[in-house]
Amino acid sequence: MPESKPILPKTVGLWTRPDSPRLVNAKNIFDYMDGAGEIYLGYCFDHLEAWEFESRTQKAILVELYFMKTADDAFGLLSLDWGGEPVDLHQSPQENAGSVNSFLPRALYGEGLLRIWSDAIYARVMAYQETPESKEAVLTLGRSIVKGRRNPQAPNLFQSLPDSFGSDWMLLKERATFFRSHLVLNSLYYLGQENMLDLSLSSEAVTSPYERKDAKGKKRIQFLLVRYSDNKHASQALSHFHRAYLPEYPIAQQPVSSKEMASVFSVEDGWMGYKLRDNVIAFIFECPDQETAKTIINQIK
Amino acid sequence: MTFKGKPLTRRNFLQGTLGATLGMSVMGKRWLKAGQKAAGPSLVLIVRDKAAMDASNTVNPEVLKSMLDQILLKFTGQKTTKDVWLSLVKPDDTVGLVSTTHLNPTHPEVVGAVKSSLIEAGIPENKIMDAQGGPDKPKACTALIALPALKAHWLTGMGTVMKIYIRYSGKPSDYHDENNAKLGETWSLPFVKGKTRLILVDALHPLFDKGPQVDPRYKWAYNGLIAGTDPVAVDTVCLRIITEKRKATRGEPWPLSPPPLCIEAADKVYGLGTSNWNNIRVEHFGWEEDLLLG
Repeated sequence: MPESKPILPKTVGLWTRPDSPRLVNAKNIFDYMDGAGEIYLGYCFDHLEAWEFESRTQKAILVELYFMKTADDAFGLLSLDWGGEPVDLHQSPQENAGSVNSFLPRALYGEGLLRIWSDAIYARVMAYQETPESKEAVLTLGRSIVKGRRNPQAPNLFQSLPDSFGSDWMLLKERATFFRSHLVLNSLYYLGQENMLDLSLSSEAVTSPYERKDAKGKKRIQFLLVRYSDNKHASQALSHFHRAYLPEYPIAQQPVSSKEMASVFSVEDGWMGYKLRDNVIAFIFECPDQETAKTIINQIK
Repeated sequence: MTFKGKPLTRRNFLQGTLGATLGMSVMGKRWLKAGQKAAGPSLVLIVRDKAAMDASNTVNPEVLKSMLDQILLKFTGQKTTKDVWLSLVKPDDTVGLVSTTHLNPTHPEVVGAVKSSLIEAGIPENKIMDAQGGPDKPKACTALIALPALKAHWLTGMGTVMKIYIRYSGKPSDYHDENNAKLGETWSLPFVKGKTRLILVDALHPLFDKGPQVDPRYKWAYNGLIAGTDPVAVDTVCLRIITEKRKATRGEPWPLSPPPLCIEAADKVYGLGTSNWNNIRVEHFGWEEDLLLG
């Protein structure tokens, strides 16, 4: 089914839209939203349509349609925050066909803001003041945005996140994120100012904490998986990371014949490890001991 | 910005070597201790009133005016607000009001209240200007009143005091991304340095995550104003409030990511003030509930 462009109603409840939206592209996105534009440019962004629905009696509703170049990128933007109340905007079971893992909502609502992943569109529909009328209008607009559109799967790399490492370390699904940019990574898990992993729009990454609960309390470790366009980029990125982050440790030379290299290191916040295989690097941070780091690294397929 | 020498990493925070790395590797030696720190602790005042906004978060102008008067009088020890302003600015000064203009902006009621108070103090209305914008704005002013809104920022950790002059550089994008640690430079520009008479933070309805783009789930009614003359100390108090709010929301530590490098750098590299909590004297008045000072 080809992707269809959403058609927003002219009037919804007490609100009416203008005839045309404000158009924002990569060149003028900072005029529209200052530094927040970096979030969208950190994904494969095409353009944004912004519509302000006005009412004579209530505050405006802003509809932002972010047209991304792939469905993965629209998914990534929603995955930046899984908080809020999941809502089903589809009006029939047929429309909802092709849904992804059941734990992943496609739309989330909270205090006037509805965020939607719909194929290659990420949408924000925000009432400047939440009222019963504005909530209904926001959800109606959400339904018009998703109507007749595809429901692709979550990115493969995201789906490859293990539910657990061993029987102890459980994936915190509500904190798992798909991204491409080191700026986004730093907003999720700060590694350093430099782009030491050589992330770019041609790379894909997912990160999530894993949690262990026992009688002593809970402990979290951070898992990061990056897939590069080819093996050479992955190998170079690992060298760059190692030089920047682990300067006191000599970097192991990868045997030419080997497709895999794994190491663990003691750093200030525990043990970390990485594993390079082909064009993918897996990292684990903040392990409580060397054994845990080794076990997890060896478990990564 | 091309980093010279060691890159700044998570490990510098854990080692407690952030300041040294910032100073020596990120900005270069020329900035070290470039500013003049005040002797003794820096005073930061907080005034809150539960009635500052109603249930729909509409500002009550009368309550706001009372809060403004209170914070000005407490801060300077003067008897009238006229005396306060005349101790901060001269009658012939051109006074620039510098507010956060969009994406969780400074409430216009706050800007209006400050402007009215200045006029009441005898500053001619035509000598008070909106000074947010490019470098021409501060060049046209002899005194600046910084009026940032309290908010977290996904690129810089915090987007409040240190970020308020970013457009004065003429190249705001030079301070995006990893360059946010250099925001102290904007306070040290020749046509900015020494002009800031007061920092008054709009903490009525702050944003504690995902800023600057607003997600209403991360806004709350703090109903406060925060004032000081040490920009780093004021931003440090703002950071404490945001950090405590995040912790209270999740019920566990939820540190800002990325960490707000610009605040520590403003202290340790640019010498603009203190980020050391022990060197900050916080006084607070009014509504005490959920003060969020730790």
